[in-house]
Amino acid sequence: MSRISIRFIAVVLSFAFISPVFAAGLPQVRMFTTGGTIQSKGAHRQKLMEYSDGKVSPEELIADLPELKQVAEVSYTEIANVGSPGVKTDILLKLANEINAWLAKPESAGAVVTHGTATLEETAYFLNLVVKSNKPVVMVGAMRPFTAVSRDGPMNLYNAVRVAASPTATGYGVMILLNDEINAARDTTKNNTYRVETFVARDLGPIGFADSDRIVFYRRPIYRHTYKSEFDVSKLTSLPRVDVTYTYQEEDGTAIDAFAAAGAQGIVLTGGGGDSIKKAQAKGVVFVQSDRKGSGRVVESERSAERGIVTSDNLPPQKARILLRLALTKTQDPKEIQRMFAEY
Amino acid sequence: MSLLFTHQNLRNVLFACALTLARPAFAQEIPTYAPPPAMPASTVKLPTVMIMSMGGTIASRGEPRLNITNYGGKGVPRVDPQDWYHDLPELAGIAHIVLEDQRAPQDRAVTETHEDLARVAKRLNEIVKDSNIDGVVVTHGTNTMAEVAFYMNLTVKTDKPIVFVGSQRPWTGLSGDGPRNLYDAVRVAASKEARGKGVLHCMDQFINTARDVTKTSAYRVQTFKGIDVGAIGFADPDKVVFYREPVRRHTTQSEFAGGDFPTVPGVEVAYSYREAPGYLIDAMVEHGVKGIVIDGTGAGSPTSSQTEAIKRAQEKGVVFVVTTRTRSGRVQDTPRRRESKIVPGDNLPPEKARILLQLALTKTTDLGEITRMFNEY
Repeated sequence: MSRISIRFIAVVLSFAFISPVFAAGLPQVRMFTTGGTIQSKGAHRQKLMEYSDGKVSPEELIADLPELKQVAEVSYTEIANVGSPGVKTDILLKLANEINAWLAKPESAGAVVTHGTATLEETAYFLNLVVKSNKPVVMVGAMRPFTAVSRDGPMNLYNAVRVAASPTATGYGVMILLNDEINAARDTTKNNTYRVETFVARDLGPIGFADSDRIVFYRRPIYRHTYKSEFDVSKLTSLPRVDVTYTYQEEDGTAIDAFAAAGAQGIVLTGGGGDSIKKAQAKGVVFVQSDRKGSGRVVESERSAERGIVTSDNLPPQKARILLRLALTKTQDPKEIQRMFAEY
Repeated sequence: MSLLFTHQNLRNVLFACALTLARPAFAQEIPTYAPPPAMPASTVKLPTVMIMSMGGTIASRGEPRLNITNYGGKGVPRVDPQDWYHDLPELAGIAHIVLEDQRAPQDRAVTETHEDLARVAKRLNEIVKDSNIDGVVVTHGTNTMAEVAFYMNLTVKTDKPIVFVGSQRPWTGLSGDGPRNLYDAVRVAASKEARGKGVLHCMDQFINTARDVTKTSAYRVQTFKGIDVGAIGFADPDKVVFYREPVRRHTTQSEFAGGDFPTVPGVEVAYSYREAPGYLIDAMVEHGVKGIVIDGTGAGSPTSSQTEAIKRAQEKGVVFVVTTRTRSGRVQDTPRRRESKIVPGDNLPPEKARILLQLALTKTTDLGEITRMFNEY
């Protein structure tokens, strides 16, 4: 028994010495800030909604978390400081280019992106398709503002930096980290308006966890992403216009007519559409069939193929839109776009 | 020709399959919501899949067809492997089927034991070496199939798909899920994409990994879920599709793979709750166990009485692993847990931590080594 204990203590000690060894050359993580709740202040600490009483700068975020110094050397690039509905194509392109420039440096370990949670999943999936690196990129946000009681932002940010600094996080594509869970950008969606347990990959679940003892992964995404992606936005200044229609009883295609008139090159459907689809197709608009249920795949079918409509696999409409925008930078051929939807 | 096709008379079976193909046969009574894929022009190119029966609800009959809780049992005829093949002629469109029966005799008094696992693991290790076989489907009762699949995940050395399948309703039940599940399991076992992902589980169209899958509902057909991490793919009407690869070591990467373990050290499970006593642990030690899994409360905590009994048992060399009865979340590595020399069971449920500890104890009693195994598998 004493032999067993000695071996065990030896293992324990070797674990205990890991952090001082690392401290000598901490990994370099760059934080790209775009704003959102994690960078918002409320007038008082019980204010959990409509908290637009002040913004948090990147310096404040870092100063607020002295513990970061133990896990990484953190620098920052401020991209924007807006709520996530305000994240538009120019911000997306700037973010992608800045992240690619950072990750191309040999000394960089990974990147963290602060973002409002409402459209965080869309930016995450966009980056998942255009970042040219296998280094970790971690999207982070908060459900409660910087000033709130029991705010979740600091632990989320601390864990996001840990994952971005971790060599074990290599090659998983862009990740989303809130509430200790590591989720894959492609599969994860915001699932609740206010609770801290909001980001969920409905069909599949998280790929790992940022636990106190270690960063642990259980799953590796199979669909193509980041360094295996064919999409490149480095030379683009805009992206094709793609809109989304929502279907319901008596939906009659009015929105499709209007989007086509406004110059949409692609439209993501959640069903329905009526005769407006054929009219828009005649003008060259490409259609992708997604679904409003939020779980399960829109399967490839002969009927869809005959109608020239691409099926979205299990991408929700807002993510099918991102992929279609990028697909349209390469081709208008529904067959080729269908291939992309089966691979990304 | 013998009704029961064995692996040994593969040629006969292939011949039989070819005969079946010649018949236009889509039985009306089979619950199916999607047309089967078009038959390939050349059946020679079809993959060969073995369906191995370890029994289960999927191999049980009940009368009348509304009986979905009290079926099977002594004297009730079981569903033999060739009955599946007969009732599901669509199988011939997706694979050459080889049948094998690994069920215990119906009149045997004892439920499944480790000898059954060891026998089947040994057989699977033989089968996967056969270049004629592309994949294996194993049927099993749903109650303990997750831990049996996990045992195979650790001990069978192959990158060929091995897919566990069962059903929640007997083969004869109204809206029985068995036929669809079996058909989908064969599709998964026949797919190239399923290779190298460890032992899999496919029911209700969800493809899960053996390590993470667990039964979550007593009777609903959507019962198997991947604890914490979800499914890795789906057997959908258009195709078998995978989204995730498991990261933890399995099959070809397992240090136990290819090994034959006719016996394993005794390991039992002790459940924790307010006032859970230490004497049950004392009794286990008295009985001669080499390891005990504590299914702790919350983050993996035993009671003070259990803690005292753990110390007594450790003096005698018994190895302890702790899991959490929350059935989600990891038992973490903490300074206090190291001090008490208890191995954290990661996010394994106790019945699977037991399997891993049994295999670990065939190699070592070193706590550092066993901790490594629980971190890696």
